[in-house]
Amino acid sequence: MSKQLQGLARATHIASRRDERICALKKETGKPVIGYLCCFAPPEIISAAGAIPYRITGRPGDTTSEADAYVEPYGCTYVRNILAQAAKGRLDFLDGLVISHSCDMVQRLYGVWTYYRPLAYSRLFNVPHQLTPWSQRFFHRELGFFKESLEQFTGVTVTADQLKQTIARYNRNRTLIRELYALRRENPPLIKGSEMLDLLLAGGAVPAEEYITLLEETLTEVKARALPDPPGPRLLVWGSLLDDSTFYRMIEEAGGSVVTDDTCIGFRVWDQDVPETGDPLEGLKEHYLVNFQCPRTDRGPGVKRFDYILERAERYNVDGVVGYIISFCDPHKFDYPDLRDHLKKADLPMLLIDDNYSFTPAGAIKTRLQAFMEML
Amino acid sequence: MSTSEMSRARRHLETTKKMKEMLPRFFTRMIERRFSNEPLAWCMVGVPPELLKAFDLLWEWPENFGTMCASRLVAPRFIEVAEGDGYSQELCSYVTNTMGYCKLVKETGEAPPESPLPGGMGNPSMLLGSGFICEPRWKWFQSIATRFLDVPVYSSDPLSPPWDVDPHDPRIADHYQQLIREDLFGQVEFLEKQTGKKLDLDLLREIMALSHKALAYWRDTLALRQAVPCPMGSTDYFSAIIPQMYMVGEAEAVDFYREIYQEVKARVDNKIGIVEDEKYRLVWFGLPPWFNLGIFNYLESFGAVFALESTYNVGDNFEVDLGNPLEAIVKRTWQRALRMHDYGSEVMPELCNPAVFGGFYGSKLLDEVVRDFSLDGAVMHLTRSCRAVSFGEVHTKNRLAAMGVPSLIFESDMADPRLWSDAQIKTRLHAFLETMRRQD
Ligand code: SF4
Ligand code: SF4
Repeated sequence: MSKQLQGLARATHIASRRDERICALKKETGKPVIGYLCCFAPPEIISAAGAIPYRITGRPGDTTSEADAYVEPYGCTYVRNILAQAAKGRLDFLDGLVISHSCDMVQRLYGVWTYYRPLAYSRLFNVPHQLTPWSQRFFHRELGFFKESLEQFTGVTVTADQLKQTIARYNRNRTLIRELYALRRENPPLIKGSEMLDLLLAGGAVPAEEYITLLEETLTEVKARALPDPPGPRLLVWGSLLDDSTFYRMIEEAGGSVVTDDTCIGFRVWDQDVPETGDPLEGLKEHYLVNFQCPRTDRGPGVKRFDYILERAERYNVDGVVGYIISFCDPHKFDYPDLRDHLKKADLPMLLIDDNYSFTPAGAIKTRLQAFMEML
Repeated sequence: MSTSEMSRARRHLETTKKMKEMLPRFFTRMIERRFSNEPLAWCMVGVPPELLKAFDLLWEWPENFGTMCASRLVAPRFIEVAEGDGYSQELCSYVTNTMGYCKLVKETGEAPPESPLPGGMGNPSMLLGSGFICEPRWKWFQSIATRFLDVPVYSSDPLSPPWDVDPHDPRIADHYQQLIREDLFGQVEFLEKQTGKKLDLDLLREIMALSHKALAYWRDTLALRQAVPCPMGSTDYFSAIIPQMYMVGEAEAVDFYREIYQEVKARVDNKIGIVEDEKYRLVWFGLPPWFNLGIFNYLESFGAVFALESTYNVGDNFEVDLGNPLEAIVKRTWQRALRMHDYGSEVMPELCNPAVFGGFYGSKLLDEVVRDFSLDGAVMHLTRSCRAVSFGEVHTKNRLAAMGVPSLIFESDMADPRLWSDAQIKTRLHAFLETMRRQD
């Protein structure tokens, strides 16, 4: 079915059945599927090692009581949701799992998950919080250990050349995604925020080569679109992980237009290419540790650490910022007051939605979104 | 909460009661130096205090300031100021306590009158954060230095191997120790730059020797709590960690821990327990509710004693060669990581500097702990605002249940008394003791 569809229709189709798609792929190729969470352990390495990388997503609003047998009620509701998915057996199609030590919660999810539901392959990818030369050296070594462990699991030796080729393929994805993002610099934007996120979500469940085709089709399709009605306020969405387009659709229904973002799965991962260096691990380190913007990494005190958000807001001609934070998300909750004040100085109003990863009560969220749009 | 529901700890040991004279003497000396504007570092647990002492720096622990504000019930005042500034109630209450405090200092130019110490936490000339145990402990200083204080920050960033990686594999051991070592060198370089002094390795060695001596007495004291009846309880335990935090490397601190050892030893020899009729021997998991340490005395009134606590536990990782004192810090930190790994670090994959303390959770050595301390049950404090330490309680509960050891998890917070509901918590604790009695 999804093969007959093209472009955005196909992306939306895949995004709503990511696990089905990945299971089919597993069957077709006979390759193991390695699930990953967070953006530090490079899918490029998984792919080069002959496995299928699969970005694990939660199911917002789904029951999480299954997680209660293993973890406390207080804690990131997204992490609890993922653990509940695992406990319900919905992720049993995974042959392996790699979780990076991004924040405290995700790091600890790894231990609980692998203790209670061991997988054929699992690895915690450890990540320093600082960007000192020694932290970078650690990260580089960690990349090497990760590669080695995958090689042992799949039996495929990853040569530098193979890895470079895989990186180049992923970079092609990045270029195309940036081109699509750029279509939203215009007014009215040619592609909606919710469509863009579905497209990115589909990307976490298809191989890089196939994704190139999907992105190219979408680009052609979107460029040929008749200009939609002038949209309401142009917004940047900042915050914790968003792996479901419901929230963007709520914003769109409230009359706003998400033209760019600073979220995981969103632009954080696609904003720049992986530098294509002689030692491929060096480029991966630059990209995934040094350049990847996540508040779990220490970029020192001061508001300079948010300058990239201001630049992006300017580039996309943004009217306001909507913050989306998942309950108990320390890294983002810590940054919120500093960011809010910094944006205010730049005359960018900010609305914060604090949510338990369910987008409910929808009525109340929409009312707040509408009030914000009107103010803009 | 109502203030009348909170009660201060009643201690049992003469030595800890003596802290009432010893600590004010120390704080007076320290505060005089602070008032004469000597360099002061605010630091996080995980920063080796011996190193600070070797630089003759003054230091303050905002975490500990949080416990003091909690026990004087002034924390809500500061926390509410931080909440007004946009800091979520879900964030660590030690953090929000400091944020509110800093905001008031910035607005008024002086320490708020409610501060537990005269002059509050002083005016720091640097912030030394740490990634030990949790993320808040470096985000906190990042935010302080962004909003309130324009001073340099160094956050140390050690990591430890996850539970399913073999830390005895020499490549893994090197991988992690290299990070710990280079990070320590970075910290030393930062301190040298800030103080304009070169690190005196001989002095550091002397300070560490005294520090480790004190820790050895403390470790041996804690082992004595295996005795039945238990000679020392949690109110003394949670108080007696303070001298090591502030007076590290001082002869007076060594004397304090020697005396505590001798006193507890004498109690063991004479079979003196902390309650007359010891009915239940328990282990405490999590941070204590600092605003209501009297809860331990409440439990003692039913014959329940805590023979062990999972937090602030030092272990014996400081038995390292002090020839090269910096390498000794690396080694003891690594040994701590190994020890945590031995416990089973699936839910607490962090390490902590044994000069002060860490915690234990995990799966592998629990049965040893239960056997050695003759434990009947466990009480776990699920602190809403500190997930770093309370995460893993359900897992530990599962592990204990498999061993036939009952446990209770109750919810509140370490510093925010607004999250304490007295009647409900006491009813649950009481019911738990009753169940244990029925199981006898
Ligand atoms: S939402 Fe926040 S707390 Fe949850 S996994 Fe992401 S960064 Fe961590
Ligand atoms: S360990 Fe807990 S109490 Fe300590 S700083 Fe971290 S979050 Fe706060």
